[in-house]
Amino acid sequence: MLDVRGEICPYPMMKAVEALKKLTPGEDTLEVLTDHAPALTTIPWEAAKMGFEADIDEVGSPEWRITLRRSEAPQDPKAVMARLQEKLAAVQA
Amino acid sequence: MSVQAFPQTARLPAIHFGRGLAAKFGVVLLAIILLALFSSVEMGVFWGLGMVFGFILQRSRLCFASAFRDMFLMHEGRNMKAILAGIAVATAGFALLMQKAVPDPAAGAFPDQAHVVPTGLYLVVGGVLFGIGMVVAGGCVSGSMYRVGEGYVASAVALLGVLVGLEAAAHTWNWWFQFNISTSPIVWLPNGLGYGGALLLTGVLLLAAYLGLTWWESGRPPMIAFKKKAEDEPVTFQAKIAQSYRRIFVKGWPMLAGAVALGMLNILAFTYEHPLGVTGELATWADRGAKLMALGAPKLLGVDRLAGCNLAMDGTAPWLNHNFALDTGIIFGAFFAAVLASEFKVRFAPHPRRYVQSIGGGVLMGYGAGLAVGCTIGAFFSAIPSLGLNGWVFGLSLLAGAFAGVKIIQRIA
Repeated sequence: MLDVRGEICPYPMMKAVEALKKLTPGEDTLEVLTDHAPALTTIPWEAAKMGFEADIDEVGSPEWRITLRRSEAPQDPKAVMARLQEKLAAVQA
Repeated sequence: MSVQAFPQTARLPAIHFGRGLAAKFGVVLLAIILLALFSSVEMGVFWGLGMVFGFILQRSRLCFASAFRDMFLMHEGRNMKAILAGIAVATAGFALLMQKAVPDPAAGAFPDQAHVVPTGLYLVVGGVLFGIGMVVAGGCVSGSMYRVGEGYVASAVALLGVLVGLEAAAHTWNWWFQFNISTSPIVWLPNGLGYGGALLLTGVLLLAAYLGLTWWESGRPPMIAFKKKAEDEPVTFQAKIAQSYRRIFVKGWPMLAGAVALGMLNILAFTYEHPLGVTGELATWADRGAKLMALGAPKLLGVDRLAGCNLAMDGTAPWLNHNFALDTGIIFGAFFAAVLASEFKVRFAPHPRRYVQSIGGGVLMGYGAGLAVGCTIGAFFSAIPSLGLNGWVFGLSLLAGAFAGVKIIQRIA
């Protein structure tokens, strides 16, 4: 669990990328806890470039948990964002 | 919506505001607006303009610091492209207003309220310092103001730094004025090119900047903003109204919408007297504070001949003037926007060093803004539409400063 709550822009994204780089080959999940709304765009985007799939859960107001999972297939950032939107639509329906 | 309890760490005493409270605040704010309107139309209107300013920034997350920074940090230009569009809108309106004030620019006159200042080395130094400072502090002056409205304590610390920097700039102003500012030429494009030529050149330069950004971004997919709420197709009247409400007050706005709205707001401000500017009033606050400690700035040379956010610091001006209303309105507008979107939270930085970073970045920004007669708003967003060469020089200097700033933050953990 990487807690970047309270961090100013752009540290939530930078810290998440740094932590992803430090993951050992055995670790394939990183959870990031953030209260910085712009990070909901930047973290999944940058993670996708590094081959991670993203999932977002609202865990507070305003707090989100972004779960980043290593993926075998290369990740297209656009597809990752589209899946996140779809998931939210399903949750609210 | 899955809501899961998280182990709260002790270091973050988060303070949240719900929507019920937002409604109460709305009533209080409305009362203040009415009071202001009652005492003076000018105060009420500028308070409203400031509120809309802050509201736009918060909703669209239009951040000038990230517009410059993300080009280097993420190879991303979407924020800057939006700002270019906002500048284009403002340019058209400014040209109409300036033409009324100065019908014949060939005679050598220029509109005294437009943000046209001498173009010289001082502008480059101010721009570079401001560019470094805004990236290090995590937001420019208006950006830090809207983040204070969202509850970022570090941004409030950055604004304190800005005040210190502005006062430092005032203390060194006379040296700069004699060394460089007084001998630098004022280049107002319509003087040589006429309005048509100046507009054409500005349009070509904006287009060139847009194409340059697109070239810089090419080969990568354009970043898609994450939208907080999904849309259902509304059918009933109630559902349609609810959707409009969510679009304006809850969901984020596209950056382009925010930037164009800000460009139009800038035109509106200019119709009254002068374009939008933020730091001139802050400089007055800084000098009032400094005077209390017997550290007030000396008489500044030539500031009354400079338009825009100059360091005039007129001690005789009333506290409650229209720029005061504008600046405080930004913070309140952003606060209001953040509360309605459930994005308000008092956020303390996780490490004390972040506050040191914020104050350091703030001082650099304040000094740069004091020297260059404005921030990303007054000396850039309002200066390019004023058709002065100074806006472009300041913008390029911000770019250089942002590049250096990115190198610096990548070394600060």
